[in-house]
Amino acid sequence: MVRAKQSRTADLFAQEAPPPVPPPPVQAPPVPAPPRLRSLWYAAVFPGMHEVPEPEALSHLQRLARHAQRFTSLVSLEPPAALLLEIRGSLRLFGPPAALHARIDAGWEALGVRAQSAAAPSPLAALWLARAGERTLIEDAATLAGRLAGLPLACMAWDPKRLALLRALGVRRVGELLRLPRAGLARRLGPAALLEIDAALGRAPSPRRAFVACERLRERCDFEIEIVEVGALERALEPLIERCVSHLRARQAGVQALELRLRHRALPSTRLHLGFAGVTGDRRRLWGVFTERLSRLALVAPVRAAALLSGPLQILSGGCDEAAPLIERLRARLGESAVYGIRRIAEHRPEAAWRRVQELPGRFAAAAAADTVPADGDRVPRPVWLLREPLCLAADGTGTSPRDGWRLEQGPERIESGWWDGMGIARDYYVARHAEGARLWVFQERRSKHWYLHGVFA
Amino acid sequence: MPGGGWPTASLIEVLIGDNGLGEVQLFLPALAARQQAPSGEVPWLVWIAPPHEPYAPALAQQGIDLRRFLVVRPVSATEALWAAEQALNSGVCAAVFLWLKGTDDRWLRRLKLAAEASGALGVLFRPESHRFESSPANLRLLMTRGEHAVHLELLKVRGGRPGFVDLGPG
Repeated sequence: MVRAKQSRTADLFAQEAPPPVPPPPVQAPPVPAPPRLRSLWYAAVFPGMHEVPEPEALSHLQRLARHAQRFTSLVSLEPPAALLLEIRGSLRLFGPPAALHARIDAGWEALGVRAQSAAAPSPLAALWLARAGERTLIEDAATLAGRLAGLPLACMAWDPKRLALLRALGVRRVGELLRLPRAGLARRLGPAALLEIDAALGRAPSPRRAFVACERLRERCDFEIEIVEVGALERALEPLIERCVSHLRARQAGVQALELRLRHRALPSTRLHLGFAGVTGDRRRLWGVFTERLSRLALVAPVRAAALLSGPLQILSGGCDEAAPLIERLRARLGESAVYGIRRIAEHRPEAAWRRVQELPGRFAAAAAADTVPADGDRVPRPVWLLREPLCLAADGTGTSPRDGWRLEQGPERIESGWWDGMGIARDYYVARHAEGARLWVFQERRSKHWYLHGVFA
Repeated sequence: MPGGGWPTASLIEVLIGDNGLGEVQLFLPALAARQQAPSGEVPWLVWIAPPHEPYAPALAQQGIDLRRFLVVRPVSATEALWAAEQALNSGVCAAVFLWLKGTDDRWLRRLKLAAEASGALGVLFRPESHRFESSPANLRLLMTRGEHAVHLELLKVRGGRPGFVDLGPG
């Protein structure tokens, strides 16, 4: 058994010319055969895209993907700046691979977009070749290793740390990388890197992201009888939602918002916005928001037909926060702005040291890492409640007598900041105790000597 | 508390004479500890209808993970109660805080059941004037300002006897 295991490992780690595999002992589990490569991938890299800012770049890429859909139904976005097209299935329509390759290239030219392209049996190989600017067409997977060998490592778009490590080993080109012993590679770069190499060579299935056709959702249904009651409407719309869910599932895509349009006989359509806390195609989440919105709806007139519409479908990003359904439900009933998060900002002015955030749940968790870094003032007390506006502490507005009914317990903490943007402050903050018992955060404006209440230690 | 620390899976009612007696501070260390527990996912904290803006620097200072902190501002008491029930039932929250002025026994009972079923801590802050009403809460506290200290009175406690605690001048 042990021997069998070893021979299998050796096989997995075999390099360019794998040694002939001895017939496995009877007990050994069968070695999975390499997947038969029947596909042909065309990759286009758009060098100009790197200058476009992030959100626009994605919509730009989606536009190009929509254009590419005339050549194949399988278009995959490779953000930030590339597209992959499976073109084997399109050859019957468009002629030999070289002709199709040229035709797609001509399409970019007609759009006025600069593109580098290549085609190969594996998506990664096509991408690497395109990134390296080698306009070539490889049909035979067996020749891949040789054809990729001359490419510079940069075409793999690995992270800089990995590339620096390889550079330190004296590896400059893909061929040199392929010659390194696999065990060592796995140890230094992790198994994911090996998997990627195998995928590029067509020896392992390629862990491609879901192919998302860049399209919108438009589902419509007409009712035989006009619907006058919300409960009946909810039941009547069930097939519509189901169609929408299976449509999304088939494309492994999701939406972040939907619009439900209810058509009436004489009045203009009722439009309902259904918002989600993240990109989703999940039946339960769609239903959750849908029923919540309907429960608050008062029909202005009987409904004759309904339609569900979306913006461009989006890639399902896998990891979704488990609180997303809760946040969606709350927002569907209470409104988007009634549900929010808070973040702290590294800023001296107390009122500017925080902000509300609407993008929930923590999809941008990484960006918010600053929240865990202690800011200055971590040693001085801060109140749980902050008043929206500092409250002047004397009814007549002079606010110069601080001792009525409360006493200072701690302070002063001098905060002076913001002189550069005209919103400057110069304040002495104190913790004060009100006669009724509340602990308060007060300050004295240094110029006017006025006293203000700014927070409550709850 | 009998058994030590705050009970989870229950509804606690805190009656306060005035904001600013340290009523939130009572719970913050326990909330931070729940969020920092090494068991994988960081649970959410949901504050519904707080009387002022929760101040992010203060919460971060006390170890609250703001990435899992949600503020909800409903326009009515019914919506606030509904939101609290949704949050307790969601199974992703360690604690749900609700600030409320009115009385609704049927709703409070629902919140208690939701807290018990989900294992979350539900805390209801209400004005002191509700102290003589009956309440379905598992634990009832009254916070008032005494001569020199904040005065904490246990009005109702499961597995223990009502009593007093002085929290010192802070």
